[in-house]
This record gives sequence, C-alpha cells and structure tokens, in this order.
Amino acid sequence: MSKLLRFLAGKQSLLIFVFLELISLVLIINTHNYAQLKTHDFQTGLAGNINQRLNTINRYFYLQNYNDSLLHQNTRLLNKLNQPQNKLDKNGALAYQFSFIPAYAISNQYNLDHNTILINKGSQDSIRPESGVISTHGIVGVIQKTSAHFAKVISILNKSSKINVALIHTNYTGFLQWRHQNPNQFEITDMPTNARIKIGDTIITSGMSSIFPKGIPIGTITGFKTLAGRKSYVIKLKSFMDYTNIGPVYVIKNNLKTEIDSLNMQP
Amino acid sequence: MINTSKYIIILLLFLILQVIWFNHMHLFGTYTPMVFVYPILILPIQKNESLYLVLAFLFGISIDLISNTGGLFAATALFVVYTRKIYFLISKNKSQDFENISIQNLNLLQKSIYYFTFILISQILLYLLESFNISLVLSKTGFILVNSFISLFFFIFIDLLFFNPLKK
Repeated sequence: MSKLLRFLAGKQSLLIFVFLELISLVLIINTHNYAQLKTHDFQTGLAGNINQRLNTINRYFYLQNYNDSLLHQNTRLLNKLNQPQNKLDKNGALAYQFSFIPAYAISNQYNLDHNTILINKGSQDSIRPESGVISTHGIVGVIQKTSAHFAKVISILNKSSKINVALIHTNYTGFLQWRHQNPNQFEITDMPTNARIKIGDTIITSGMSSIFPKGIPIGTITGFKTLAGRKSYVIKLKSFMDYTNIGPVYVIKNNLKTEIDSLNMQP
Repeated sequence: MINTSKYIIILLLFLILQVIWFNHMHLFGTYTPMVFVYPILILPIQKNESLYLVLAFLFGISIDLISNTGGLFAATALFVVYTRKIYFLISKNKSQDFENISIQNLNLLQKSIYYFTFILISQILLYLLESFNISLVLSKTGFILVNSFISLFFFIFIDLLFFNPLKK
C-alpha cells in the first residue's frame, strides 16, 4: 500500500493532468450531447451572465452600427405598412402565422466549425427550441436550447446547419450550408439546373420549413457551377449580413408549429 | 524570476485579450489569432508543474465559460502545459541539462520553433475536440497553418514587448 502511495505521489502531475483533462472532455461531450440539456443549463446561464456584462461594453462601441441597422429595419417595415391592403389579405394566414420576439446577441462565435450564439431571451420570454432567429440583414440561426433567461442558437456558421433556400421570384429551392472558414461565404447545393440563375441574383428563405417564413433575403450569388453527371448547381453565395457583428435579433415564433408538426407526424 | 502571482496576472491579461479582442479579430476576413497559448508557453518548465496544470485548467475553463465552448480551451491548455516537458526532453542537446533549460534563454529561432509547434498542436487539438472529426480537421490544414503563422507573428511581437532582450 505504501509503495502504491509513493508511486502515485511520484506521478502527481500526471494524475492531475489526467483528472483535469477528463473533466474538460466531459464538459466538451456535454456541450455536444443534445440529450444532456439539463446539465448544460447551468453553463448556458453562467456564460449568459458573464457575456451580458461584457456585451454592455461592446454594445457601446457598435451603437452607430446598430442605429443604422434599426433605421434600415424601420424603413422596411414602414414600406410594408404602406403596401396595398389586399396584399395583406391574400396572405392573411401567413401574417398571423409568425410573430417576432426581439432579443440581443450577447455572445457570438464565428471562429470554430460548429459556432453558436447566445441571446438574452429564454424560456421565460416564451422562446422555444427549433425557433428561427433572424436579424435585419438576414437569417442568424435556429434555437437549440433555452435556459430561463437565455437561449443558445445554432449559428448559420455551423457545419451541421442546413437551411432550405430559394431563388428570388421563383420556387426553385436548394440547401444553404457554410463550408468555408470565411463568415460571409456560403454554398448552396441541390438547386436544379432548370433554374435560370446569374451572378448577382438574390437568394431568400424558401418557407418550406416551419422555422423561417418565406422571403427573408440572405445574400447574392457570386458564382456557380454544375458538377459532372449532376442536374443541380453548386452555388457560391455572399451573405448580406456580417456574421462577425450580430447585435439585435428577432426570434421567430411560429404560432402554427404544433399544427404543422402534428400533420407531419401522421402516417 | 517571475513569481506565480505575476504569472496569474499575465494569464488574466491574456484571458481578457483573447475573449474581448482576438476572438473578434478577423484578419483577411478569415483568420483569428490564438494568443491564449502564449502565457501557458512561458510558464517555467521544471518547477510547480501541478500548480501550473491547475492554473492552465482554470485559465482554459474561464475562456470556455465566456465563449460557451464547454471544456475546449481547458483541454487544449492542459495538453499544452503537460506536453511541453516532452518537447524539451526530445529537443535538448545531449550536453544540456534538462533542469537548466529556460524558455527565456532560447534564441529567436529556437523560440519560434517552440511557439509554432505548440500553436499548431493547440489549433489541431482545438478543432479536433470541437468536431470529433479528423477528416474535417485535415480538410482545413491550409487554414490551420496560415492561422498558426499569424499567431506566431503575434507571439514574437508580444515576446519582444514583454521580454525585450535590449532591456537586459
């Protein structure tokens, strides 16, 4: 026994290394494991609180940018209000389907492969997982999990994100993915070659999922090619939004989600 | 000789630098210097290894808590602290005594190789632990290399600022 203790004392640093490394690995796995929501709640809450304080300082420096973006948003809303009334009537169901909850991004990753964002609204503000998050200049991501006052968003800058998008004024759809390290460059796959696309065309959300409504502008086409033997384009896209600077965001609440999901569940 | 409390202050300084400044830096639209490894690399090699392991863990976990990255930075920081010893055991001359090796006595080339090796190791480990996908990490070899060179540039710059040989 004393030999064992002496041996362990000699390997003190190795033991500390292994022990602390194991704690770190468990924490990493917890972050990856979608089932371990409760364990991660504490960390999300803590990270949220620290970032909330750091963000107060940061927000001050970006005031001008945020003001510009809010102005832009207001202008767009005002324009929408001034549209003929019958257009709203036609899409009456759609207008009712989505409502928006304003929030602030308090931490934003864009250096990793699986980036996430924290926002300062949570389950107490009736934010639920699988809700879309948008900003003035485009889509931001999808809510992964919530704590009482914060929510974690899977950023669009996440190699596992796949968003259904469409070519503006058409119903041709494809999948938007982030495959490069540049936070403003994206790739669209599975867009059929029947679509007549050209560089500079705008890509919008398709509205095919219950997460994002149709018509949110995402970016413009900067290049495209067709792969041999495939009947679809591989399109390069430059986003309208600067994903390194996310400030105010809007969480989309789909009021008809339960109805759509229950319909999808039926055989 | 810099004592432990001074190292704690340096670690805190680099914690703030990494999370507030460097994490938001996007050089050439893509590259983010990883300066968090620097204070870990300048810790003494032979003495208080257990203490420095704990410090590196606390340092890494603080970055993780702020960046919401689980234990990614903690695991990387720990690995770097522990494997530095192996690096010096392999790289030292036969005539050199391991007990007398000091990072500040290395020349610029030796220091650059030492820094670059661990910047590279930390980047690979960081992306590997983040994605658990070797092919994904291999696919971004070019990015990791360029990012490592950019980080090395910052390391040497900070080094000259902190330990300017002209001051000696």
